[in-house]
Amino acid sequence: MNKKEIIKLLFKRGKESGIKDMEVYIQGNKTIDLAVFEGEIDKYSIAKEQGLSFRGIYNGKMGYSYTEKIDETSVDMLINEAIDNAKVIDSDDEEHIFEGSKDYKKIDSYNEELEKTSMEKKIEVTKVLEKEALRLDERVEKVDHCIYGEESFESVLINSKGLDLKNKSNIAYAYISVMVKDKDDIKTASSYKITKDFTDFNAKELAKEAVDEALYMLGAKSILSDDYPIILKNNVAASILEAFMPIFSAENVQKGLSLLKGKINDKVANDLITLVDDPFMKEGVASKSFDGEGVATKYKKVIDKGKLKTFLHNLKTAKKDGVETTGNANKSSYKAPITIAATNMYIKNGDLSFKDMVKTIDKGLLITNVEGLHAGLNPVSGDFSLSSKGFEIDSGEIKRPVNQVTIAGNFFEMLMDIIQVSDDLKFTLPSSGGYIGSPSLKIKSLSVSGN
Amino acid sequence: MLDKIVIEDIINEALSTGGDFAEVFIEDKINTGLSMLGGKIESGMSGRDYGVGIRIFKGTNSVYAYTNDSTKETLISVARQASLALKGKSKDIKLDLMKKEIENKHKIITFPRNIRKNRKVQLMKKAYEVAKKEEEISQVKVIYMDSEQKVAIANSEGLYVEDKRVRTRTAINAVASKDGEMQSGFYGIGGHSGFEFYDSINIEDYAKESSRIAKTMINAKPCPSGKMPVIIDNEFGGVIFHEACGHGLEATSVAKGTSIFAGKLGEKIASDVVTAVDDGTIPNAWGSQNIDDEGMETRKNLLIENGILKGYLVDKLNGRRLNTKSTGSSRRQSYKYAPTSRMTNTYIANGKSKKEEIIANTEYGLYAKYMGGGSVNPSTGDFNFAVMEGYIVRNGKIEEPVRGATLIGNGGNILKKIDMVGNNLAHGQGMCGSISGAVPTNVGQPTIRVEAMTVGGRKGEK
Repeated sequence: MNKKEIIKLLFKRGKESGIKDMEVYIQGNKTIDLAVFEGEIDKYSIAKEQGLSFRGIYNGKMGYSYTEKIDETSVDMLINEAIDNAKVIDSDDEEHIFEGSKDYKKIDSYNEELEKTSMEKKIEVTKVLEKEALRLDERVEKVDHCIYGEESFESVLINSKGLDLKNKSNIAYAYISVMVKDKDDIKTASSYKITKDFTDFNAKELAKEAVDEALYMLGAKSILSDDYPIILKNNVAASILEAFMPIFSAENVQKGLSLLKGKINDKVANDLITLVDDPFMKEGVASKSFDGEGVATKYKKVIDKGKLKTFLHNLKTAKKDGVETTGNANKSSYKAPITIAATNMYIKNGDLSFKDMVKTIDKGLLITNVEGLHAGLNPVSGDFSLSSKGFEIDSGEIKRPVNQVTIAGNFFEMLMDIIQVSDDLKFTLPSSGGYIGSPSLKIKSLSVSGN
Repeated sequence: MLDKIVIEDIINEALSTGGDFAEVFIEDKINTGLSMLGGKIESGMSGRDYGVGIRIFKGTNSVYAYTNDSTKETLISVARQASLALKGKSKDIKLDLMKKEIENKHKIITFPRNIRKNRKVQLMKKAYEVAKKEEEISQVKVIYMDSEQKVAIANSEGLYVEDKRVRTRTAINAVASKDGEMQSGFYGIGGHSGFEFYDSINIEDYAKESSRIAKTMINAKPCPSGKMPVIIDNEFGGVIFHEACGHGLEATSVAKGTSIFAGKLGEKIASDVVTAVDDGTIPNAWGSQNIDDEGMETRKNLLIENGILKGYLVDKLNGRRLNTKSTGSSRRQSYKYAPTSRMTNTYIANGKSKKEEIIANTEYGLYAKYMGGGSVNPSTGDFNFAVMEGYIVRNGKIEEPVRGATLIGNGGNILKKIDMVGNNLAHGQGMCGSISGAVPTNVGQPTIRVEAMTVGGRKGEK
């Protein structure tokens, strides 16, 4: 039986079992994962996988099930489990299977050339990346991670209301993490590149970025605990923003898990802040024409000049709030139920260069790295306290490196305290929460804990 | 799960380009997950994972491939594609897989798939109702999961072994609100056990505890910053050893020389009061399993004894690099990951001090009753942890609660700064994420004191 026939059978049996509307989502991935260590291939992993997700409305409740074995032996299991799961649901939320949007924007998110590039070339680029890093400076002790990866996705969404959508995309990335050593002083730093165009990988540039950052950190010491004006470097600002993504989800707002509740059209950030969710962004890793429920995606400003304009919605949350869905329903994998996530979301560039931003600080800190984002940060309360690295800024100049400090504050307060926005927008590594970016931000002050 | 002849064919195909070792990992897993918010089941998901991972070694080169299209033709073709990464000639091997019987140390009484979903929901409702009872608690989330994972592992050395791992876990997250602020309290418990696990514990105790934490924290002041003695309580407090030291003892980073503990066997790396163990054999414990994911029986591994480094956690590939035997420590989240050395149930062993003594002997410092999560950079040993529930200790007494504290430091240093170890060892359950995916692990310890640590809070001075 081919997939079309299995889906047909699923819908037929589902209907006979009392399921009203049904949907099938099939996801197929092909991945390559390469790592090089000391000139040798340290990891070489190839994979081909697929999974089928089924959901259906049974007595008004949505039941989910999935399988990795896509054949007729799974049909009864999928239907029985979905009904079983629907039966225990007692949430009163109204559920929908979507009949389709009027228009779907065409998005070019698959680059054929990437898959056609030979494995030898991909291995070569990874080896060169390590070699470049090792010869840049004699203090480069080791390259602890040197990775090339590639993923291509194909998804199909078909439902009993006649919707039949297809999406195909691919992406490649390179990542390097280096370890430098000067006497007993060991420091690490990393850099990465994400692209659909293989010719974009510049091993020299990427190696230099990581090595330079690690070397700059040598001799780093803590500083006195105090409140300091802070510049969050673009990548750091983006990672913190990513960790706080849940506060913009209408689902969390409706469940009382976001302090942004009731603040639509209120000022929630400094006037300088405009936060955009753009599913059509060129080079956007999360670009797509339809969301996890088959709704056409759209461009939107979540925060416009400091004012909160909308939450991110799916069909269920939109209906509850009496608004239109924003097309942010997310199906992170065939194993996951529908949630909400941003697509390509970023704080818009300001007009100040990073250099000029540094010049405005007499005594303060530039933060270039934070760790522990999944532990030292609470998206519900907004509180964060993060292990950080960076540099002291003295009289408008970047001075000695700083480590073994934490920066602490509250995200909601910090949004108000952003007093300058630079013009150097950068995106962080993509996650299931979306592809998130920010320029460097100057914060009036944060608590720094050191000596 | 797969015919032996088919497995032998896969292994032969995998070795056709000169590989010296090949392994096949077959996984068939049933998962159930339920999520309850505000006392109502929000979503339920269940399904079946099924796939095969193929690994080939040539010396210390390793190739991994996986697929969940488990027809013989696909499997053979995937094995061939993987083998193309190695260059060489096939050695003539005669493979005769022999099934190895292993003793089942983790008895399962009631398989979760035989329990009606309603009973699982009732358990969650009970937790919700108790947690919600407290004043100031505005929201409660309860997550339930169980899984039954069947694995078969075969390799070119003739090994064929099967294991079944049944696990269940329930986690409660309570949120307290007051004056436009929110704080949360979390408790998660679980075991390598059937549904009988819930007869051995009282879910209400944990629900009560999670709302008590949230309530305490909403009424707490920001934590002061600076260097101070830190008392870390038992059970989940062991996450500090897990992150700050445990990861550095995994052969994954030791073999590459990127761990601060590399090359230090027999050396003193911790203060005399520290003895630490990783034990994958504890009956029905969350991080236990009969065999590791390379088919080796799990063991009780001594890591540190009275401050001296005694051993690492070693998998087959890194064992080749380190020229040492595997310690039954190779784990992976699923067939989608090549296995590597990981922790199972890791803990600091009991010392001689009483918890009361440790507190009474501390003039000023932070008492971390419950820890949140954390992470570590294995190359430098720098770590960070969140404190979920903390208090200031003054003149030997636990005083006001404080919120928002983070502990930072260096694994190499902190081990030497543990100056008191209690006698109340207990274990907590968590998920540990690393290069071979997320695996269930126990962390554990008695109450310990670190003489000085950097505490990151929001208040400048004491």
